[in-house]
Amino acid sequence: MSSSPSDWEVVIGLEVHVQLHTRAKAFASSPWGFGKEPNEQVDPVVLGLPGTLPVVNREAVEKSILFGLVVGSSVPEQCAWDRKNYFYPDNPKNYQLTQKDFPVVVGGQVEIELPGASRNVMGEHKFIRIHHAHLEEDVGKLSHAGSGSLVDYNRAGVPLLEIVTEPDLRSAAEAEAFLRSLVALLTQAGVADCDMEKGQLRCDCNVSIRRRGAEKLGTRTETKNLNSISSVRDTVIYETARQIRELEAGRSITQETRGWNAELSRGYVLRDKEDAHDYRYFPDPDLPTLRISRETVARLQKLVPENLYDRQRRYVEKFGLPFTAASVLVVNRELAEWFEAAAAAHPTNPQGIANWVTNDLLRDLAASGGAGAPLTDEVLPAVSLASCPIKPVQLAGLVKLTDDGVISKQQAKEVFAEMFKTGQEALAIVDAKGLRQNSDTGELEKIVQEVIADPAVAKSIAEYRAGNEKAINALKGPIMKRTQGKANPVLIDQLLRKFLG
Amino acid sequence: MAEGFDIDHLAKLARLNLTAEEKVLYSSQLNQILGHFQALAKADLPATIDLARVVSESALRSDEPGPVLGAETVTRLAPASRDGQISVPRVVDDEA
Amino acid sequence: MDEPLHTLSAAELGRRLAAGPLTSRALCEALIVRYHAVNKKVGAFTHLDEGDVLAQADASDVRRKAGQGRGPLEGVPVAIKDNIAVKGQPLTCSSQMLASLVSPYDAHVSDRLRAAGAILYGRLNMDEFAMGSSTENSAIQKTFNPWDLACIPGGSSGGSAAALAAGLVPLALGSDTGGSIRQPASHCGVVGLKPTYGLISRFGLVAFASSLDQIGPMARSVEDCELLLCALASADARDMTCFAAADRALTPAGDAKKLRIGIPKGFLGKGVGVEVAAAVTAAIEFYRSQGCAISEVELPSADLAVPTYYVVATAEASSNLGRYDGVRYGHRSATAGTPVEMMTTSRSEGFGAEVKRRILLGTFVLSAGYADAYYMRALRARSKIRAEYLAALATVDVLLTPTVPTPAFKVGEKAADPLQLYLEDIFTIPANLAGLPAISLPCGKSGHLPVGFHLVGAPLSEAKLLAAGRLFEAAHGFAHQQAAL
Repeated sequence: MSSSPSDWEVVIGLEVHVQLHTRAKAFASSPWGFGKEPNEQVDPVVLGLPGTLPVVNREAVEKSILFGLVVGSSVPEQCAWDRKNYFYPDNPKNYQLTQKDFPVVVGGQVEIELPGASRNVMGEHKFIRIHHAHLEEDVGKLSHAGSGSLVDYNRAGVPLLEIVTEPDLRSAAEAEAFLRSLVALLTQAGVADCDMEKGQLRCDCNVSIRRRGAEKLGTRTETKNLNSISSVRDTVIYETARQIRELEAGRSITQETRGWNAELSRGYVLRDKEDAHDYRYFPDPDLPTLRISRETVARLQKLVPENLYDRQRRYVEKFGLPFTAASVLVVNRELAEWFEAAAAAHPTNPQGIANWVTNDLLRDLAASGGAGAPLTDEVLPAVSLASCPIKPVQLAGLVKLTDDGVISKQQAKEVFAEMFKTGQEALAIVDAKGLRQNSDTGELEKIVQEVIADPAVAKSIAEYRAGNEKAINALKGPIMKRTQGKANPVLIDQLLRKFLG
Repeated sequence: MAEGFDIDHLAKLARLNLTAEEKVLYSSQLNQILGHFQALAKADLPATIDLARVVSESALRSDEPGPVLGAETVTRLAPASRDGQISVPRVVDDEA
Repeated sequence: MDEPLHTLSAAELGRRLAAGPLTSRALCEALIVRYHAVNKKVGAFTHLDEGDVLAQADASDVRRKAGQGRGPLEGVPVAIKDNIAVKGQPLTCSSQMLASLVSPYDAHVSDRLRAAGAILYGRLNMDEFAMGSSTENSAIQKTFNPWDLACIPGGSSGGSAAALAAGLVPLALGSDTGGSIRQPASHCGVVGLKPTYGLISRFGLVAFASSLDQIGPMARSVEDCELLLCALASADARDMTCFAAADRALTPAGDAKKLRIGIPKGFLGKGVGVEVAAAVTAAIEFYRSQGCAISEVELPSADLAVPTYYVVATAEASSNLGRYDGVRYGHRSATAGTPVEMMTTSRSEGFGAEVKRRILLGTFVLSAGYADAYYMRALRARSKIRAEYLAALATVDVLLTPTVPTPAFKVGEKAADPLQLYLEDIFTIPANLAGLPAISLPCGKSGHLPVGFHLVGAPLSEAKLLAAGRLFEAAHGFAHQQAAL
């Protein structure tokens, strides 16, 4: 008897390796960054020369603690480093400095949002628990050349935060949502840049399945070194299907380490449990235990930005934004803060401002070359506001002019385009272009009276007075014409009704 | 304590090749030394380890980039190199 | 003024250099002559770059002439154990593995010596990677005891001790993980101090066992030892285990005649040679005669020290020596094959027998299924030993024992019995396990071979150890003893 896939539940845990945003390496003063010639970012400590010693980078520790605070973990009083011993040509000391027993982050949770039924509908929210996160060092890079391999140690020693979840994820969609949420948290707090193109975020993915309703976890496999969110999603889908197939065929799951071939969308076995490494962990004698002061924690707590979903809820509840707009704004902290600055400058119409930001501003930023390179194509809207020509207060000014009836919505589009080009204030553009609606009642009254007196419109006046509301519009055209389109349509309407009374 | 002592496994873990004679010699010497370590197995020891030096954050390094060796020096130190990189025999995926 | 320069103390040489007409060049030239006459017999130095030495000496003479002398060590040569990095000099650790390595950087102590105006003078032989007690484990050459060339000089800083005893240099750096400064000092009749763990930066000291290793000064007199210690000890942000500036104040020496001296119970039993016991007993009686309070102290876990040490030290060593794999520097086997084969063959060719033995032992005590029984138990035993020593040193100022149970043995005599050799360190090991300062001072002879005694103090009590040494030295005048070669 065969069962349907829905009889099975998949259980996923992730280990996410994130390169922290620092200038120097984790345990050495060597700089690091993308795009340098091989082995140009290597000092004696990174190369593991005899006699060299590690010293922990304060910024790497503080970025790690900041992450802990972002996910609501309790920051431990102390943390310490251990050695993980294994031989590999990309591992300069043949041991990696990591944290086994006393990690810098313990506990915490990440809120995720699953896709809704449509773009306009918010999906389900869940909390994924963080088991711990530890601060360790990255290894160098191997490339293959002919019959040999080449080693570049530029990446060796780069600070890595390994974030380990509880096995709380239940689908590929949840794994994907978790990673999107995690990337947003990390980038918004300035902990990491998470540029997957540059390998700044890599994942190990643990997958097991069990009969729905069963408590006992199934045997899990670990797929290593996934370097994009889509690879994680595809791995989960692949591994789930494979494990169901195995179990339904009466075979068992082997606890094994696997790799993922993204080109072929296929997993493969790296090694089974029998070959498991004996890492011979022990406390690193070169790095004393670090006491984390409560002052530091308090100082870092102030740097924790508002959680993106708290922000999203606030935008919907306090600003009355539709979910679609709110969800676009909150993913990028810079964008959200830009929006809030504009909304603060013109508090009566946040929806109007959100509309401008999510439609016109994002469109023009994306279209203009100066919009900045995509941070990560998979996660964030491809914008950077660093070079945005419009200031939040300027957009607020534009929306206010429209709301006050000084310019029409149509004119506002023209003003926005000019503002994006020149960075001028809305009012200055309106004046320079002579776009200001005429709201001088005295002058307008005279014109309205002149038009009403024109026999050419007598028929329309009669129809209006007979009860045909729409007939009044026939009088507006000539008025607009005589004011060269500058008259405030609202005012014209009021005056006409007054005189035709 | 020394039961299960496997010289081949140890040599593999430690990345050492041992000749047959060395295996015999080291096995007997290590067994003798481990026998001397019996005192440790029998001793009445405290449950907790009170050794860890604890430092405050003032001992940490500031995030200031310092000097590097340069690829020229790195490759000069290396037994074999090519195009600024250190060359090794071809690494097969996860050979370690 | 007629004594040859090679017999003078560093302090005296410093004074003569300061006063003139002695120049650093003249001093170094004289020592180079001595080197050519004696080093072949003793085998203390593995490398001496004469041109570099004389260039340093000339620079020192220029500084002094310009009134820019840097202190009491200005122009004075200091020889350096070959596991301490000096930029542009070999850093072989007396191993085939690093036979071709030239250090691209300076150790912190090398920086300090340069800052003190000292001449960084040559490389000293040692047991390979500091593993050994006889310097017989050097892959480069043998070193012989200047007092009896048929005997070992001790180790692992055997080259340092032999160079001093042979009058090849007035000052030398050693390193001490379980006795590697004090044991050869004792065997060669010189003074060797292992400082409190953390007093001297380990940056640039090739690691054997990181939690035990300390660099220390070696000299023919207590005064010289102190002079060198002062030059070396300073805070260093590159070593997180090195004391910060605020935490490194030494306990004042006080009056050496009022020292409370503890004699660990039973320490003169345990395989201590008759003449060693007699010499050390005489030292105890000397201190008693000076007014010191002598008492017996209990150190119940003393028997655990050797096994604890060999578990901790080899565990750390197995990891510290992992980096020698033929990839980035050092020996690479000519046999190609896979990376695993390349690494394995390089290590097998590059390491000597004792290093392999300790790597295997250390790998075992950390391996899955055994780490709890060995490594973790050793850490607990280390806690206990440390607690007992600190408790004892709360009631006395120093603990006095022999440095080594027996005098230097014949070359080759114990080569086949590693365990026997490990027991050489029985008196010196606890100071490393507990991170305490300790000094070995000459106190007589067994036949024609020197015997030393050993003082251990509380953390940062170096000044007390040196004061006790000065008191003894003043009465016994060993400072100018040198082997006749």
